[in-house]
Amino acid sequence: MYNFDFVKPATVDEAVKALADDEAQALGGGQTLIPTLKQRLASPSKLVSLTGIAEMKGVSKQGDAVVIGGGTTHRTVAEEAASAYPGLADLASRIGDPAVRNRGTIGGSLANNDPSACYPAAALGSGATIVTNSREIAADDYFQGMFTTALEEGEIITEVRFPIPQKSAYAKIAQPASRFPLVAVFVAQYGDGVRVAVTGASNNGVFRWSEAEAALSGNFAADALDGLTVASDDMIGDLHGTAAYRSHLVGVMAKRAVAAAS
Amino acid sequence: MSVAQPLPHDAARLHVTGAARYVDDIPTPRGTLHLAFGTSPAAAGTLTALDLDAVRESPGVVAVMTAADLPFDNDVSPSNHDEPLLATDAVHYLGQPLFLVVATSHGAARRAARLGRATIEKSTPILTIAQAEAADSRFEDGPRVYARGDVDAGFADAPHRLSGVMEIGGQEHFYLEGQAALALPGDNGDMHVHSSTQHPSEIQHKVAEAIGQHMHAVRVETRRMGGGFGGKESQGNALAVACAIAARATGRPCKMRYDRDDDMIITGKRHDFRITYDVAYDDAGRILALDVRHDTRCGWAMDLSLPVADRAMLHADNAYHLPAVRITSHRWKTNHQSATAFRGFGGPQGMLGMERIVDHVAHALRADPTAVRRANFYASGGDISGQKIQTTPYGQEVDDFIGHEMLARLEETADYAARRAAVDEWNARGGVIRKGLALTPVKFGISFTLTHLNQAGALVHVYADGSIHLNHGGTEMGQGLFQKVAQVAASRFGVPMEAVRITATDTAKVPNTSATAASSGSDLNGMAVRNACDTIRERIELHLAQLHQCRPADVVFKNGRVTAGGADYSFAEVAALAHQARISLSSTGFYKTPEISWDRIKGHGRPFFYFAYGVAAVEVAVDTLTGENRMLRADILHDAGASLNPALDIGQVEGGFIQGAGWLTTEELVWNDKGALRTHAPSTYKIPACGDRPEVFNVALWDGENRADTIYKSKAVGEPPLMLGIATLMALSDAVASCGEAYPDLHAPATAEQVLAAIHRARGA
Ligand SMILES: Cc1cc2nc3c(=O)[nH]c(=O)nc-3n(C[C@H](O)[C@H](O)[C@H](O)COP(=O)(O)OP(=O)(O)OC[C@H]3O[C@@H](n4cnc5c(N)ncnc54)[C@H](O)[C@@H]3O)c2cc1C
Repeated sequence: MYNFDFVKPATVDEAVKALADDEAQALGGGQTLIPTLKQRLASPSKLVSLTGIAEMKGVSKQGDAVVIGGGTTHRTVAEEAASAYPGLADLASRIGDPAVRNRGTIGGSLANNDPSACYPAAALGSGATIVTNSREIAADDYFQGMFTTALEEGEIITEVRFPIPQKSAYAKIAQPASRFPLVAVFVAQYGDGVRVAVTGASNNGVFRWSEAEAALSGNFAADALDGLTVASDDMIGDLHGTAAYRSHLVGVMAKRAVAAAS
Repeated sequence: MSVAQPLPHDAARLHVTGAARYVDDIPTPRGTLHLAFGTSPAAAGTLTALDLDAVRESPGVVAVMTAADLPFDNDVSPSNHDEPLLATDAVHYLGQPLFLVVATSHGAARRAARLGRATIEKSTPILTIAQAEAADSRFEDGPRVYARGDVDAGFADAPHRLSGVMEIGGQEHFYLEGQAALALPGDNGDMHVHSSTQHPSEIQHKVAEAIGQHMHAVRVETRRMGGGFGGKESQGNALAVACAIAARATGRPCKMRYDRDDDMIITGKRHDFRITYDVAYDDAGRILALDVRHDTRCGWAMDLSLPVADRAMLHADNAYHLPAVRITSHRWKTNHQSATAFRGFGGPQGMLGMERIVDHVAHALRADPTAVRRANFYASGGDISGQKIQTTPYGQEVDDFIGHEMLARLEETADYAARRAAVDEWNARGGVIRKGLALTPVKFGISFTLTHLNQAGALVHVYADGSIHLNHGGTEMGQGLFQKVAQVAASRFGVPMEAVRITATDTAKVPNTSATAASSGSDLNGMAVRNACDTIRERIELHLAQLHQCRPADVVFKNGRVTAGGADYSFAEVAALAHQARISLSSTGFYKTPEISWDRIKGHGRPFFYFAYGVAAVEVAVDTLTGENRMLRADILHDAGASLNPALDIGQVEGGFIQGAGWLTTEELVWNDKGALRTHAPSTYKIPACGDRPEVFNVALWDGENRADTIYKSKAVGEPPLMLGIATLMALSDAVASCGEAYPDLHAPATAEQVLAAIHRARGA
């Protein structure tokens, strides 16, 4: 490690002020940021921990949405969203390992937008709203390619609002070593149609599979996806799997999610 | 008697509480320095300049050394003097140490090492077998060929013939404790080295050469390793030598341990293999002639590649009698880490090749692979009824074969026939999830193939209070060797285990030892310790016999007591008595394996004292849409002879099987086209964890004893069980075969993607 300042504000306002410094960066659970610092891929002079901000924590049901504070850990979501939005809770329960789930937060995951992260699939697949200290951003506008989001410098995700679907499920094939998705698909059925979001597959990060959405909106059944494929051109090909394998898995995971949806 | 008792590992409590001391836990003197290597960013080329100014200026750096600064031999090779500690001009692999940083802390050394700037005139690395073959880049002047019988005639007459190719991946050792060494400089040029090594004598030898001393000036100590698996047979040399050189230069203690990523990038791994085969067989699947070719990538240095590749050839028959066979082995020199020893030492690759061939033959005949295996088995060792005993392709008589009996027993205990039918029925329903079942045998040769290595020494002291100090040349790496050998010592003296103190392996106590390898640890050191104990015991017997007017043979050591002619002493009393009578209570012991001889060029002789056997039945499930797979059940019967310690032996069998299954399923090493290892941490390289073991996991030991005269008729158990993991791959092949008509042609490791590709092949897609 190297030397940096550390502050732990108690309110969002204080955090926003602390982040106004040029070289400051927000710290959630540190499950991504701390390793990044250790590898010297980032070197902020000040870390602003968000873990002491009570107003950014917790899970609540508000009308037909589940609202999750930006500083809520994966484990808390897994436990407390289980009755209101089981598909989302199940996704959270399968992120990484217990240590990661006890520390990592939804805000950190969405801010990071790793192309293989789980939460982006849930947010995009639910048409969630990302609420920050200054505005509300629709998921469709929020994800802008791998590791890129609509967030401005110093902007904090304070909560995420997930409209509750009639049915949903998350199907994930894990890369066996890290447990990150090799490919995963989140499917959610709403009154006005079905959303299908794919993570782990594309070089452009999480994306909606619109052909699948159209097919499923007409007939919410796994075999409605028969014959549909995603092109492998933009798929990630790396040490864990080829692009062709990933594009194949998108179809399989989508069907698996539909079949499992409840 | 303590032998044969299922006692826990002597350090089990220390292991699980964290109190067990490894090299990096040894309290170091004030002023100890820490080392790190700066490594090559290119896989091949010429080092034209090395700018180390920034390294020298980095905080905490005390010294920086390059090849030019080394005082004596620049070599850490175990065999061929072809492994410079630090690169001179040629660079041979990405990760090769170029310079050495000596600093006040581990972190300071590692940080500084990153600041070196090497200018390398890159050349095209040789990475694939095809590239190596085109460049004739190999070890030895041509392939080794071992053959017997008329192979060509065998093919000419045969009713059936098929051929194929199998790729077998390498494997990272993934010892929990990484490589580590600590060197403490003495006066008069002496050096005391603590090393996490399976081979203290080699460390001693290499350190002596590197600091310009005779071996008598260097003392190497190894209390324990946190896993070795062959990865600490030659791979520890670089760290120990670096520490000794730096300690000599600075006059201060020096310590080095590799960070996990560095460890994986710098050190060698299991050899990967390509097995190409052409086989002739009859209607029953009996193999009439076999022509098999091994191609293995050895990496940049010879290291132990020749005996590894030899042992692959020596296991190309596995448990099957091959009347006409030709085995051709090419050892390719490539720009990778130097492939090295790994549990099984080439045996697993050779054996897997044979199991693959049998599987392929069975598939072609639409026969049950277990029936084909049985049809090809060697004849039972006990049943020679006038016939000539069958021999291996290299001419060793197989006079102890128990494969038939073990297979029959396992078929019964694992309920094989009923489960075979159930699996077939399940698959006939044609669902997405397919099941597979396979039963594979292991026959593994025990002894170092380099005959002179089959020797061991021990040093035993009995103190005047009856306590016993035990030392031998074997090293403890978690396998339980020390406990087994202590059980031997306790049994010889008839004392409880508490009387025996296990001590660190130390070149100052027992010299000229062989590596703890080739599964030989208990066989060799157990015997040496027995001989040392017996020497002392005989002296005591003689004395007591005189004292009590009985025959020496009537002196009995039992339950901590010694009785002689009506007298009854505690062992401590006897020790005190002997001491007063001026009887030496200290002895060395020595053992060499009898009856073995081997000509590796001709490929003929008796390289092995005996064979260890095992059988495994594994059931798997495969998702045919994704290739995901897992083991459902494993049943194992393993032959440890008359086990010295069934608890430890079963532990070795369980661990070996899981490690073998990991090698063949999830453990995938990936290098990119520049020769960079992409899988260098647990986040990218998947070893099996507790949750990957089969839910039903039945392990039993065969209840026979060794026919050969080994320590208490036990058998070596370190390496053989790894090859039980082959059953997992064969079960996957079985599951995949149910998807179509064509042979699945499954390669290893059978990652999900590989399994899915095999499913497509089986379907003829
Ligand atoms: C072994 C391992 C396995 C993992 N497996 C998975 C997996 O299967 N699936 C998966 O999805 N993820 C996985 N992860 C990642 C994990 O979910 C992380 O928790 C997550 O990516 C980041 O969350 P964090 O709270 O730790 O963020 P941090 O690491 O603290 O921060 C990450 C980034 O987000 C910013 N940030 C943090 N909080 C906020 C906020 N509220 N508003 C704005 N910006 C913020 C930080 O400044 C930083 O740039 C794994 C991680 C590990 C170490």
